[in-house]
Amino acid sequence: MKRSSSLKLAFMGASALALTACDQPQDVAIFESVEQCSQQDGFDSNSCQQNMDLARQEHIAVAPKYSVIEDCEADFGAASCEIAPVQTQSGGSVFMPLMMGYMMGNMLSGNSRVATQPLYRSKDDPSNFRTADNQKVAGKTGLSTVPGKVAKAPTVKTSTLRRGGFGASAPSLRSFGG
Amino acid sequence: MERISIEERDDWRSQAEEVGFDFHTFDGEPYWDETACYRFSLAQIENDIEDPSADIENLCFEVVERAINDSEVMARLAIPETFWDYIRNSWLNREKNLYGRLDFSYDGKGPAKLLEYNADTPTALYESAVFQWLWLEQAMEREIIPAGCDQFNSLHEALVEAFKTADIEGPFHLASCQGSPEDEGTVRYLEECARQAGLNTKFLYIEDIGIDPDGHFTDLDDMGIATLFKLYPWEWIMNDEFGKSVPNSGLRFIEPGWKAILSNKGLMPLLWEMFEGHPNLLPSFFEDDPRISQLGDLSMVPGLTSGYVRKPLFSREGSNVQIIRPGQRPISVEGPYGSEGAIIQALHPLPVFEGNHTVIGSWLVASKPCGIGIREDDSPITKDSSRFLPHVIY
Repeated sequence: MKRSSSLKLAFMGASALALTACDQPQDVAIFESVEQCSQQDGFDSNSCQQNMDLARQEHIAVAPKYSVIEDCEADFGAASCEIAPVQTQSGGSVFMPLMMGYMMGNMLSGNSRVATQPLYRSKDDPSNFRTADNQKVAGKTGLSTVPGKVAKAPTVKTSTLRRGGFGASAPSLRSFGG
Repeated sequence: MERISIEERDDWRSQAEEVGFDFHTFDGEPYWDETACYRFSLAQIENDIEDPSADIENLCFEVVERAINDSEVMARLAIPETFWDYIRNSWLNREKNLYGRLDFSYDGKGPAKLLEYNADTPTALYESAVFQWLWLEQAMEREIIPAGCDQFNSLHEALVEAFKTADIEGPFHLASCQGSPEDEGTVRYLEECARQAGLNTKFLYIEDIGIDPDGHFTDLDDMGIATLFKLYPWEWIMNDEFGKSVPNSGLRFIEPGWKAILSNKGLMPLLWEMFEGHPNLLPSFFEDDPRISQLGDLSMVPGLTSGYVRKPLFSREGSNVQIIRPGQRPISVEGPYGSEGAIIQALHPLPVFEGNHTVIGSWLVASKPCGIGIREDDSPITKDSSRFLPHVIY
């Protein structure tokens, strides 16, 4: 047979089906410093340092970015933002919140499904650590159990400077596919 | 191969609207036309369309290999120099392609002749993959055609499978231009296929794409775009204001950058230069090729004596295409293209069935032939006013 043996259109026209991903709780560890991490039972300072370095690198990529420092401080509090090591296309400064801690897998449970990442504290909920995706993690350092989606790698959330830079070349045709 | 007049399903319009095929009629004229269908033998499909399509795809890869290592070729294709490294890397990194459509002139007898390759932004996908399939099943059920017919059309299965193995992580963004229901329909269908493959998708318009301070592209939620299917030609991306940010954006495009080499009409003279005499290729030249431009009268060029077609490098939907035949007035279609240069291709007129000029679009998904779609036009140049007709194998 040279044709598809079956064909369904599950989403088009009809109302979209909600896809529920499996969300298993994950054991994580949260620290503010390498020293604090090293003092945790079962954690060695080498791994603590490696995960800190990784989180610091991620911090640059995933921290929310702002082109105005006041906007950043409005979300994260006074003196809680820093200049990001990137620039706008026109050479302007970019701001991001300070990294307040980091999350890694619980070395005792050998959990590798936890993405090491930076943590932040927002102005409106300063008692909790939050991920770069603004998901609440926990209020205390040390070991915690969090929903699976919280332990996932953060998406690169960013701030859009401009839109509309694509599309100008399109002549007004019914279709340009062809 | 024959054209058979048949009865329409009386409810096809309402069915089309139910399944999202809302561009079935354009300006009051039918685009989907099931008052006739084309019948092929299995041998015609397999030997004359499917196998040559696979063969040509391989030849095209050789053209890409050559182009990325030859700045003269890249310049002849009018690809901006700032993109040469980017395109080269997209090929060397084996960035995966999704789909393409080879357009053939074929009458059921001689070898199919390749007219062009819509390698970057082909449309007519939805009607080929879905509505044509649906028609076949119902036409057999309602005894409009004999039971036991088949169709060269595993597009849907191939697309879902391709998305499963596309290594797309995180949300998959898909974009088309505003104001084109036909293009949006194509993209919405691809989104459907991606979701059936388990991907998490997000649709947006090309015009809504933003850029962040790091030079990453963003969607309307200010989320970074990691992988983007764009029904928007590479030559326009390269020309747009955001184009210069593409090479360092880290964004993975589908189709990948190297498709810019194949979607260009300059592919045709490159194929001819490298594989002259191939049964499925037509003699083709760049217009400024000294071998022909010095002759003055192109109808003196071997291979072009019975006429030729002039096509701008970036022409779409037949725009700015001219047919020149000795002793006859040229036939041409107006349009916005042409300043980028043009090619000259030997004339191999489309076959005419009951007054209709018929072109066969041969679909490739992940570079494998998996179906055809047939379009008819009243004129020898297939335009966006053409009609789509279903086909059967029996």
